[in-house]
Amino acid sequence: MAEVENQKTSSLAAQYSLQEIEEPVLVESPVEPAVDEKPAITEETVAEKTEEAPPAEESNGAPEQEDSSEQEAPEETPEIKIETAPADIRFPTTNQTRHCFTRYIEYHRCTAAKGDGAPECDKFAKYYRSLCPSEWIERWNEQRENGTFPGPL
Amino acid sequence: MIVLEWLFLPNVLCDAAEPWQLGSQDAATPMMQGIMDLHHDIFFFLILILVFVSRMLVRALWHFHYQTNPIPQRIVHGTTIEILRTIFPSIIPMFIAIPSFALLYSMDEVVVDPAITIKAIGHQWYRSYEYSDYNSSDEQSLTFDSYTIPEDDPELGQSRLLEVDNRVVVPAKTHLRIIVTPADVPHSWAVPSSGVKCDAVPGRSNQTSISVQREGVYYGQCSEIRGTNHASIVVEAVPRKDYGSRVSNQLIPQTSKGPTIALGPYLSKARAT
Repeated sequence: MAEVENQKTSSLAAQYSLQEIEEPVLVESPVEPAVDEKPAITEETVAEKTEEAPPAEESNGAPEQEDSSEQEAPEETPEIKIETAPADIRFPTTNQTRHCFTRYIEYHRCTAAKGDGAPECDKFAKYYRSLCPSEWIERWNEQRENGTFPGPL
Repeated sequence: MIVLEWLFLPNVLCDAAEPWQLGSQDAATPMMQGIMDLHHDIFFFLILILVFVSRMLVRALWHFHYQTNPIPQRIVHGTTIEILRTIFPSIIPMFIAIPSFALLYSMDEVVVDPAITIKAIGHQWYRSYEYSDYNSSDEQSLTFDSYTIPEDDPELGQSRLLEVDNRVVVPAKTHLRIIVTPADVPHSWAVPSSGVKCDAVPGRSNQTSISVQREGVYYGQCSEIRGTNHASIVVEAVPRKDYGSRVSNQLIPQTSKGPTIALGPYLSKARAT
């Protein structure tokens, strides 16, 4: 692909600059929560800094995704974004334990306030899933069900 | 022998420890390059001081021999030299400290939001890695275990006690956040050529940021050994556009956007190509 070849030969600064192709693709993705600025800022930051971040929508099932991606290749397929929880200035140090815990609590407080499927809470869900080990999440989910969760939900 | 093996095999082990290695491994991240540069800066002053002090010592021993110099001088004070020998050694650590602190604080500085978070979870005798950026529920993260290949099993050309069955696949030239945490006892996740060593303490989750600048396979070892066959950590950095395919083992090219990544539940055994 021409784009790939150009990127191979261009300098790092050129590779990191925002490319025109990224903007229309970002605009097209409808799944992103439009309410908060944070995911948009994160995406743009990532798109600016990265070379070929394929902007994507998340899908629900892995096997379904593979089949649909193969069949619907030229159309809008469920894709996966290369983005993750942004660096939080509340937690600038190496120890990110509280960061993970705080994101988990924020998600559950958000769903308690806005309902279970609220799109504003999705970003918190993505953040805590990225940051927290799955064992911790399972343990906290159990504690929440038992009513013994040690946090301000 | 070793050279012949290297000629015939595609793996170039420049990012693994070599026998009797004295210097650092080749740098793969800006952090490691900074560490090596700092080492060279300090080494310069180190040699300077070493030569100077050795010279003084040898000279004193040589010239003040009781037979060659039976009558010693009776110098007690020397204001000028005392001032010089106080000021000069206090300037040298300043030259050492400036690059050292610059590197130290730049290692912690978060300039760019990371693009990918990978969790390295240490278990007693293996490691497991989770790529959770792509799941939409609590259970779906891409998780796999990484066991050291035991001594009887490695194929021709593989390093003994350094290879693992499933490598950590990361995209090159991407800011990564590695979250290191253990499941049971303290571990430490270290990859020397990337300049990473992050302790994993139970109940605590530590983050390191790296940005691997070149593709390749990087070997590290757990720096808190917890049992037999425990040591290895292998990170494989692939070109960014290949990252998706390596994660999902399925690549669907698109004309203008680059590859689409489809998530598969299993990471195949990775080999540097």
